[in-house]
Amino acid sequence: MTAGATLASPLGLPRSFHRLGRTARGVAGVLILLVAWQVSVPLVGLSSYFYPSPADVFRAFVDLVRKGILPVYLADSMGRYAIGLFAGATLGIVFGVLIGMHRRIALALSPLLKFLFAIVEVAWIPIFVVWFGYGIETIVLALIYIVFFPVLYNTLLGVRTAPQILVNAVRSLGASRLAVLRLVILPSALPGIITGLRLGAGFAFRGLVFAEMVAAKTGIGYLIFDGAQSHDTARTIVGMIVMGFLWLAIDQFYLRPIERATIQRWGLTVEAEDRK
Amino acid sequence: MLRVPITVTVLVVCAVLAYFAAGELGAHRKLAALEPLLDRGSYEITLAFAPERFHQLLLQDKGRLVGVEGSTVFMKDVDAHALASIARNYWVESIVRWSGP
Repeated sequence: MTAGATLASPLGLPRSFHRLGRTARGVAGVLILLVAWQVSVPLVGLSSYFYPSPADVFRAFVDLVRKGILPVYLADSMGRYAIGLFAGATLGIVFGVLIGMHRRIALALSPLLKFLFAIVEVAWIPIFVVWFGYGIETIVLALIYIVFFPVLYNTLLGVRTAPQILVNAVRSLGASRLAVLRLVILPSALPGIITGLRLGAGFAFRGLVFAEMVAAKTGIGYLIFDGAQSHDTARTIVGMIVMGFLWLAIDQFYLRPIERATIQRWGLTVEAEDRK
Repeated sequence: MLRVPITVTVLVVCAVLAYFAAGELGAHRKLAALEPLLDRGSYEITLAFAPERFHQLLLQDKGRLVGVEGSTVFMKDVDAHALASIARNYWVESIVRWSGP
């Protein structure tokens, strides 16, 4: 990245200048939207319950922070998300490797996994609520369920497409099963695992909102739901905006760099901006 | 390669630690007049605003919520540990002993 920042574009301008320009255009787009929204409020003439202005939403945001509600909800949501993502990804990778490497396990588990994959997580949440009540267990289980399948199937794909010639070469040198896994299978499967993780992280984020609406008394999803229930639409919009920013931050600061560090390192893909 | 996620994680952890440290300092200030803390006591807890359901539920976990008057919450059977955790919240303005209804 550092090297990229110092490279000059065909026009002789440094790349960092173009990146800054892109960011400025993005910010300008948001500002135009905000101004249009604010100007449209008196023209539409509806109450703030139906159509809150950006100023109302900003006031609701300040109020939620001042009252200590937003920090607690944010921490609860992120805690649940992190636990669910970690546990779901771990299980997905372990089962993906096991199924990919052992034919008997694959034969035993494949029908069950296909059956479970067809049942959407939304259908499980009422059952989880009955079993575990409202709270973290239900939400984390729902997130594990959401993350598990994309990670599992992508890991499986990665394991099954590991070059057989390398597996045979390592085996012929006397490597154990564990060494084959460590030296060939896992590095080959890593791009698949990362793809699955990114998909799972996105699905889980959407699932988190829904699960918190149904099965929690705290969290950003609950804030969105509770705001609508208590006729405080501005709070609902705060919740939606916070969710949007959170996803942007997770994607920008975690998923993309991890993807770059794995998939692009193996030369399987390049970022659109690098193709210019 | 993973400089960005590591830096962001460190910054988030620092922010969380600063948040808890600020809460701890605030709790010391709010509870200074009540030292030594009782094993179990009744307290008037004044917030910076009228409590919402969120605050009432949170306070109910720490003791027996007896009533609310404006921005003041009256609580009984609050132990020292629970009182300290209440005081750590930045939206709690002051805590004084309450002699009961």
